Amino acid sequence: MNEKIKNIAVVALMSIIVFGLFVTCLIKPADEYSETERRPLDQAPELSFNTIFSGDFMSRFEDYTLDQFPFRDGFRTIKAASALYGMGQLDNNDLYIHDGYIAKVEYPYNKDSIDYANDIFNNLYTKFFEGKDMNLYMTIVPDKNYFLADESGRLSLDYEALVSNVIAGNPNLTYIDIFDKLEIGDYYLTDTHWKQESILDIAQYLASQMGTTLDDEYELKQVEGEFKGVYYGQFALPVKTDTLKYLTNPTIENCIVYDYQNDTPMDMYVFDKATGRDPYEMFLGGALSLVTIENPNAETDKELIIFRDSFGSAIAPLFSEGYAKVTVVDIRYIQSAFLERFIEFDDQDVLFLYSSLVLNNSSTFKR
Amino acid sequence: MLFSSIPFMYYFLPCVLLLYMAAPKCLKNSVILLSSLVFYAWGEPKYVILMAVTIAIGYGAGLLIEKAKTKAWKRAHLIWSVGICLAFLGYFKYANFFVANFSALTGISVNMLQIALPIGISFYTFQIVSYIIDVYRADVAAQKNIINFAAYVTMFPQLIAGPIVRYADIAVQLESRTHTLTDTSLGIRRFMVGFAKKILIANTLGELCDIFKATDDKTVMFYWLYAVAFALHIYFDFSGYSDMAIGIGRIFGFKFIENFDHPFISRSVTEFWRRWHMSLGSWFRDYVYIPLGGNRVSKPRWFLNIFIVWGLTGFWHGAEWNFILWGLYFAVLLVIEKLWLLKGLNKMKVLNHVYVMFFVLISFVIFNASNVTEAFRYVGGMFGIGATGFVSDEFFYYLRSYGPMLVLGIIGSTPLVKNVCTKLSQSPKTSKVVNILEPIALAALLIVCTAFLVDGSFNPFLYFRF
Repeated sequence: MNEKIKNIAVVALMSIIVFGLFVTCLIKPADEYSETERRPLDQAPELSFNTIFSGDFMSRFEDYTLDQFPFRDGFRTIKAASALYGMGQLDNNDLYIHDGYIAKVEYPYNKDSIDYANDIFNNLYTKFFEGKDMNLYMTIVPDKNYFLADESGRLSLDYEALVSNVIAGNPNLTYIDIFDKLEIGDYYLTDTHWKQESILDIAQYLASQMGTTLDDEYELKQVEGEFKGVYYGQFALPVKTDTLKYLTNPTIENCIVYDYQNDTPMDMYVFDKATGRDPYEMFLGGALSLVTIENPNAETDKELIIFRDSFGSAIAPLFSEGYAKVTVVDIRYIQSAFLERFIEFDDQDVLFLYSSLVLNNSSTFKR
Repeated sequence: MLFSSIPFMYYFLPCVLLLYMAAPKCLKNSVILLSSLVFYAWGEPKYVILMAVTIAIGYGAGLLIEKAKTKAWKRAHLIWSVGICLAFLGYFKYANFFVANFSALTGISVNMLQIALPIGISFYTFQIVSYIIDVYRADVAAQKNIINFAAYVTMFPQLIAGPIVRYADIAVQLESRTHTLTDTSLGIRRFMVGFAKKILIANTLGELCDIFKATDDKTVMFYWLYAVAFALHIYFDFSGYSDMAIGIGRIFGFKFIENFDHPFISRSVTEFWRRWHMSLGSWFRDYVYIPLGGNRVSKPRWFLNIFIVWGLTGFWHGAEWNFILWGLYFAVLLVIEKLWLLKGLNKMKVLNHVYVMFFVLISFVIFNASNVTEAFRYVGGMFGIGATGFVSDEFFYYLRSYGPMLVLGIIGSTPLVKNVCTKLSQSPKTSKVVNILEPIALAALLIVCTAFLVDGSFNPFLYFRF
């Protein structure tokens, strides 16, 4: 190949790519949602005199072109592969894979965030629990990085400081340590969460610490198809997927579950969501501000209130056996001022169940 | 608009290339002008007017100076036109600096002005000023065609981040230029080199710099890692942008001056500044240093000239004291070299490079600080003052994670890659393979860079603020 042919090849090859993608950008219909990233995609901005002169059109157009770029997922895969395997980076957008598990490098320990969470919990204590005959508990669910960081050589939170700060900041809550009762196998490969079928012993342990015994037998069932967790799409490389399993028995099947956010009865496991955008939302309907689980066959009139993040969705059903009513509250979606409309704080057990991920990024908590 | 962005690569550039190819010869400069205005307005719609006024002043001043019959009138036109151009630059870039310092010195509270820095104002002002001075000196003839003159100033490849192209260098090309397959191919290759430098190396190392700035665990070793990462980041960022500018210019038939020549291999700071941001260095040399008398004056005056030029060079980079400090820091080093070190440095083989890199690394730490206090804190941290320790897990993690890119950056900042490629392409044994692989490698680079753009949000360009 002489110089002239090389020049022709350079110009032709680059023109094909640039003009090819240019034309594809113009003719490709806009997608509304990214299944892999689980988020709505930016749409074409409004073109007007005002939006142009304010600069709004330009900045939104850039976002739009990034979101709607042809073969977007393929390009994201190329980027992830280049960063991790070409450039030798230890994580791609803070995600890494070790032993088949995708985990996030959650770092550093955010003391301000823990202080804020403590402040929120103390406000709840002052408003609803102080001076009442209530047993108050707190547990923290470690994120996957807790198990993987050391052996994979990644950075991790100062978990000791995090737990100490939470304990010190909430002197009225009894801390139940579950760190050493969990292992990486209790979590999904491609998702942040723990697997319900692996945490029955955790539920039993927490219940026992709260003075309740759980000893029901469960049947393990499986949702058809593969489960691609939240990290699957973010990681952008092809990896082994999970299966979504759940525990059930007559107690769970007979429970009456009510979604106060949408003011509607619901099932403990919402199977429509198992095939939706976030299959983990199958457990107790996912991100809902207030849900109650009533067990009409309970042998006790004890009640439990769980202040929780998404990790609570899979474990809350397992407590239904030991309580007449389990109230599940997510203060990321409801302000505490509204809680008394739905809950009469009296003599219930209260469990604060939060993952280290959420505690370390607690700005979403509402006062 | 950034070169290293999807809107530029896959919307703006294809449209402009199609229009440019379709336009007859007499309209090609008009296409460049119009597309450059769109390019500029994309980031700063309202400041297009400011740029248009500055262009009109430069154009009018050139004609008036040329037509003026006496030296006095020529000088008068030079003074008012350059004065207005510099006043615009002073107001939009430096007004708040002076207001803040006036308030701090006098204790009188003065409200800061609500003005944003117009993108590229330092670059196009210097181009127009150099044109006016060149016409005044009769080094070039005034441009009669306002389209050509405006196209020269606004030309989007170099509008917002240089190189600072002198009118004299492209005056002939503005009137008449050829477009060849070779130039297009060379332009594409140069553009792609810059594109990859910016997206793959500069942006990646920029992430490391941001990580360092955000962490509370700033150990001595992390300070030094940051210093190395930032020096490479700014080099690949700026030289990458210059490569892209030169490459696009070449596609449109222009041959812009080089802006970088492997500055990190320098044996002295003097040599470093002959290799770093060469278009700015030569601008200050020709329009400030030499008019002040250069080195053909008494020694004290010579050194004063050096301090003036380097103080201004620092100030040109930003309206903060740390930039002035940065410029004066180099003035001190240059004076010391001229007095005692230069001959010895040129004879050394290794120590001179260590010396240059040591002082250059410190200089860029000063450069990238938010203010003088932070500059001193960071430089102090490099020597253990205020650092959280000597080394930490965090340092080792990021060293391992960004190590390959740092090594690639260090190798890429030397002429090694270029020399190897040149040798391989010239050798009869390997030239065929190189010729086949080069187009494929360029296409692969484009795909990978596009993937980084699609995935990433970290894409600022440093020299936008200057």
